[in-house]
Amino acid sequence: MSITVKNLVKIFDNKKVIDDVSFSVKDGEVLAVVGFSGSGKSTILKLICNLINLDRGEIETSLGDVAMVFQYSALFDSLNVFDNIAFALKERKEFRKKFNQEQLEQIVAQKLKLVGLEGIERKFPSELSGGMQKRVSFARAIVTEPKTILYDEPTSGLDPISSTLIEDYIVRVKEETQAASIVVTHQMSTIQRTADKVIMLYQGQIVFKGTPKEMLSSSNDYARQFVSASLDGPMQMLAE
Amino acid sequence: MRNFRLYFKQSATYQLYLLFTRQVNDFFTTLGDITKKTADVFSYIFKFEIDRKAVLEQSARFGVSSLPITLSIVGMSAIIVSMQVAGEMVKQGAGNYVGQLVTMLIVREDGVIMSGFAIISMIGSSLAAEIATMRVTEQIDAMKALKVDPIKYLFVPRVVSGIIMMPLVVIVASVVGVLGGAVASSIVSGLSYRAFFESVWYGLYMKDIQVCLAKAVVFGATIAIVSCTCGYNAKGGAKGVGIATTKAVVWSFVAIAIWDLLFAAAFFF
Repeated sequence: MSITVKNLVKIFDNKKVIDDVSFSVKDGEVLAVVGFSGSGKSTILKLICNLINLDRGEIETSLGDVAMVFQYSALFDSLNVFDNIAFALKERKEFRKKFNQEQLEQIVAQKLKLVGLEGIERKFPSELSGGMQKRVSFARAIVTEPKTILYDEPTSGLDPISSTLIEDYIVRVKEETQAASIVVTHQMSTIQRTADKVIMLYQGQIVFKGTPKEMLSSSNDYARQFVSASLDGPMQMLAE
Repeated sequence: MRNFRLYFKQSATYQLYLLFTRQVNDFFTTLGDITKKTADVFSYIFKFEIDRKAVLEQSARFGVSSLPITLSIVGMSAIIVSMQVAGEMVKQGAGNYVGQLVTMLIVREDGVIMSGFAIISMIGSSLAAEIATMRVTEQIDAMKALKVDPIKYLFVPRVVSGIIMMPLVVIVASVVGVLGGAVASSIVSGLSYRAFFESVWYGLYMKDIQVCLAKAVVFGATIAIVSCTCGYNAKGGAKGVGIATTKAVVWSFVAIAIWDLLFAAAFFF
C-alpha cells in the first residue's frame, strides 16, 4: 500500500479541521478528495507531505519522495524554469553528487518534454501563463521520481482546454511512474478523467467513499448534492 | 451576571487587555523563534554547509547595494556633529581636539549604529519582504516538499553575508564619516585639514576599532536573522507581507540598540 492514512486528526484553534479520517491509495492509483472549501482537503495533503504536524493518527507512505503540486504552482520566482525543475537535484546532497550539469540538462529537458513544454528552460515563471506554470510545477514535482504525488487543485483557475491537458498529464504521470496519487479538486471533470476512487469531506469527516461512477449514481445525500451542485442538502455553506 | 460578562467583553478595558496579552504572547513567540532559528543557522555554519555562490550573491546585495545610503547617512551624521562642535571648540581654543572627538564618536558609535540603521532600512526590510512573499505564495512549502531545508537555503547565505559585509561597510562608512567631518570642520571653523587629521590619531584606539568591528559582525548577523525570521513567519497575503516587513524593521532596530547598549556596558563602562 503506497499511502495509508489512519484515524487522522488535525486541530487548529481548538477546532477539529480533520476528524478521524482514514483511507488508503495503492501504487498506480489516483484518489480524488472532494468537498467544500475549508473542509480540510488541502490540510490532508499538507499532513501527508509533512508540511504541518498531525495531532493524532498515522500516515504511512512508500519509501521514496512525496511530491506535491501546489494550487498556485509555487514556482520559485527568482529562478528560471531550469533552476526550478533542477532545484531538488542541485540542492540535495544525494542528488548533487549523482548528476553533473550535462545530466541535469538532460533530465530537465526530458521532464519538460513530458509536460509538453520543450525549450523554455531559460524563461522565468513571470513570463509563463498560469497553465504553463502549472505544467512546470508538475515537471518540478516529478524530477526526483517520487512514489507518492499530491495535487492541490491542479485545474483551478485554468480554462477548460488547459484543464483537460493537466488531467491528461496526471493520468500519464500515474501510468509512467506508477506512483500513488491524491488529487484535491472541486471539478467533476477532473474526478471523472483522473480518479480511480473518491472520498468526500465535510467538516473534516469523510461523508462519502466510492468510485467516480458510484458517486454519479449514488443515493448518498452529500454526493448527490455535490454532483448536482445544489444549494439544498446536508452541506451548508453558511455553516462553514 | 451573564449580561455583565457580555458587557465586560465588549468594553475597551477588555479589548486593551486582549491586545496586551496578544502582544506579550507575540513578543515571546517571536523571541523564541529567533533564538531557535539562530541555533539552526549556526549549526549549519559550524558544519561549513554553506553555499558559497549564494553567499557571494547576497554579499553583493548586502554590501554594494546598501553602500550609497549607508555612506550618505554616516557621512551626514559626521558632518552634522562637526558643524555643531567644530566652531565652538575652535573658539574655546580646543581646535586640536576636533578630529579626535569626531573620530571617537564615529568609531565607537555613529559609524556602526548608523550603518546598522541604513542596512535595516535597505536590506533588512527587503530580506523580510522577499521571504514573506515566498511564504505567502507557498514557495517555502514547495521547498520543504522538495526536501530542501529553507533555513539552509535562505537563511544561511544571508546571515553569512551579513557577518562578512557589515564590518566592511562600517569601515568604508567610518572613513567617509571622518573625511566628511574634516571637510565640515574646515568650512565651519576654518580648521586646517592637517590639524584635524593630526588629532584623529589621538582619538583612535585599537580597542575602539576591535569593538566596532565586533559590533558590526553581531549587527550584521542580527539584522539578517531577525529579518529572515520575521519574513519566514508571515501569514496571509499582501497584508501579511507588510506586517512581516514592519516587524522585521522594528525588531532589528530594537535588537541592535540592545546589542549596542550591551557592548557599551561591557567595554566602556
